Amino acid sequence: MGKVNTVLGPVATETLGLIAFHEHIGYGMPGSELDSKWWKTPEQKYEETVPKLRAFHEYGGGTFVDATGICNGRDLDYYKSLSAKTGVHIVASTGFVGGDTALAHFAHASVEYLADQFIHEITVGIGNSGAKAGIIKVGVSRGGRMTDLDKRIYRAAARAAKLTGVAVMTHLAIDAEPAIEIFGEEGLPLDRVVFGHVDDGVNHDKSKDTWIASLGGRIGFDTFGYETELPDPPFWARPRKDRLDHFLRFIGEQGYLGQVLASADANCSPLGWPGVKGHTVNYIFEDLIPDLRAAGIDEATITTIFVDNPADFLTLHN
Amino acid sequence: MADAHAHLSAAVNTVLGTVPADSLGVVAIHEALLSVLPGAQYAYDITLDQAKIFDTLASKLRAFKAAGGGTVVDNTGMFHGRDLPLLESLARATGVNIIASTGMGPEENLGGYFLTPQTNPPTPWPADKFADLLAQEITDGMVIPRLERRAPAGLVITEADAHGITPTEVSLFQGSARAALRTGVALSVRWGTDAHAELAHVLGEGLESNRVIVANLDRADAVAEGVPATVAAKGAYVALDHVGQNDGSYIDDAARVTLVTELIAAGHADRILLSSNAIGVAAGLTPVTLPYEFVLTEFVPALRAAGVSDADVQQILVDNPRDVLTVRGGKA
Ligand SMILES: [Zn+2]
Repeated sequence: MGKVNTVLGPVATETLGLIAFHEHIGYGMPGSELDSKWWKTPEQKYEETVPKLRAFHEYGGGTFVDATGICNGRDLDYYKSLSAKTGVHIVASTGFVGGDTALAHFAHASVEYLADQFIHEITVGIGNSGAKAGIIKVGVSRGGRMTDLDKRIYRAAARAAKLTGVAVMTHLAIDAEPAIEIFGEEGLPLDRVVFGHVDDGVNHDKSKDTWIASLGGRIGFDTFGYETELPDPPFWARPRKDRLDHFLRFIGEQGYLGQVLASADANCSPLGWPGVKGHTVNYIFEDLIPDLRAAGIDEATITTIFVDNPADFLTLHN
Repeated sequence: MADAHAHLSAAVNTVLGTVPADSLGVVAIHEALLSVLPGAQYAYDITLDQAKIFDTLASKLRAFKAAGGGTVVDNTGMFHGRDLPLLESLARATGVNIIASTGMGPEENLGGYFLTPQTNPPTPWPADKFADLLAQEITDGMVIPRLERRAPAGLVITEADAHGITPTEVSLFQGSARAALRTGVALSVRWGTDAHAELAHVLGEGLESNRVIVANLDRADAVAEGVPATVAAKGAYVALDHVGQNDGSYIDDAARVTLVTELIAAGHADRILLSSNAIGVAAGLTPVTLPYEFVLTEFVPALRAAGVSDADVQQILVDNPRDVLTVRGGKA
């Protein structure tokens, strides 16, 4: 079928197995590294992370896509060791979570420079790690409207995706019109883009998931587990049943099973924020898949959602 | 100075720890050693060759020392390439005192952690949070991100946007002033469009004017409006810190000489600071390749030729920086 860049090198698509397509080993806003209240020793980071990845592996998880962009605490040598010691494929991102996480050097950069940065990280490697990015992250800055910088990043991502064949994932699907326009202008087919976070508590009613899907875009229900039922839910939490019903509607009566991706957006060991207690990537196995089965979803459909769709999406198309 | 005893106990924070204030010698107070535009460390086309950086900076520091220099203050703050193990090694290898700074600015150089935090709404940091973060760099030591703390910072720096101070920068200025007040370390502010109004933000926190340096006061627009003299009259230090840079937005060295003589004549010799804003090694920005000793080797002869006395030169290059860099009793 093809290949995918993981942090330990390219692998055949057929070896990816079940894919958690939007997760984080550890995410922190740029600058959070200056605040020692968040610091963790390497021992603590491994202690928080390895058991989660090992459980993911034992549950049958194959591939963990880290959606942490440039400047957000990406640590490729660490990811490589985690992958090697747990047997989980880890796919790293180039790109930015949003313009508001791009530091000054990139915030001032041209579309051409940003594209060169992404292409380098996909074809040569990230920093001096030798690990190549397998996906490009882009996103909408806080405030709900795409900023000029967000748009430059989207355009650069479209060019890099076209040239290298990797896919693009977005942080937020709100204000999607300019994004779709940019991808169109750059000639990137929308099935190479997953518009993410259509399901969270803050943005679900502002995200035109069916409209984007009708144009051919892929849709990410990727904040599963951030629930108002949690003891200390984050502001983007949503009642569990609301999200599940939204998802079932989208793949059922609305007919977009072929374009859906699902994930939990959990941090194994958050870097610059407390994280959300009790929420891990393994929500997929411990809660989400059982919920789907209880709702009558068959095994073939579950395979479509967690294996076939993300594999097709992640596979280099060039 | 009359109060010799106070001098014996007076101390300055360097990257190798506290040193007596009288041991600083000639101070280059507004310079940069390694200066990295935030984010440039992740750029695909920028390589920070540690060995080469060390050699470049060591030879520049040795030249400074050979010309009579004693201390370089690195003005890059905490998020612009500050590399503490590098600075410590350079100080040990060259014998030049290196003073590192804490602080950040302008807003466009801050990380999203401070500007769009993961709260709803994403309200930028208030002054008291900046104050805690910066004061901790003095009370507990400067950070090597996510690793450890080293020696206390010797100066707090901040900067306003060139198009006018932003609301977040007002918080940052106030927080920087509170950190200076709390710890006894001085504060250096790079002004944006209105030096007095921006100075007022830090003085409004109760920081005494003699604990504040206003940087970039040799900018042509400031000089045209007489701002250096009025800032000095307020009791703050006036940094004419682009000596050797004659590029249009700043006055040239001939005009700087005139300005210095005017300030001395007006009784402000004890408020003048001279420096070049040289950048030893730059990443993601244009280097300013002036030698750190430029003030000593090129500008001081011009001052003397203009009639400035040895005592005034000593005051400006040694005594003033010593006085401002001396850590005062903080109000913890
Ligand atoms: Zn995420």
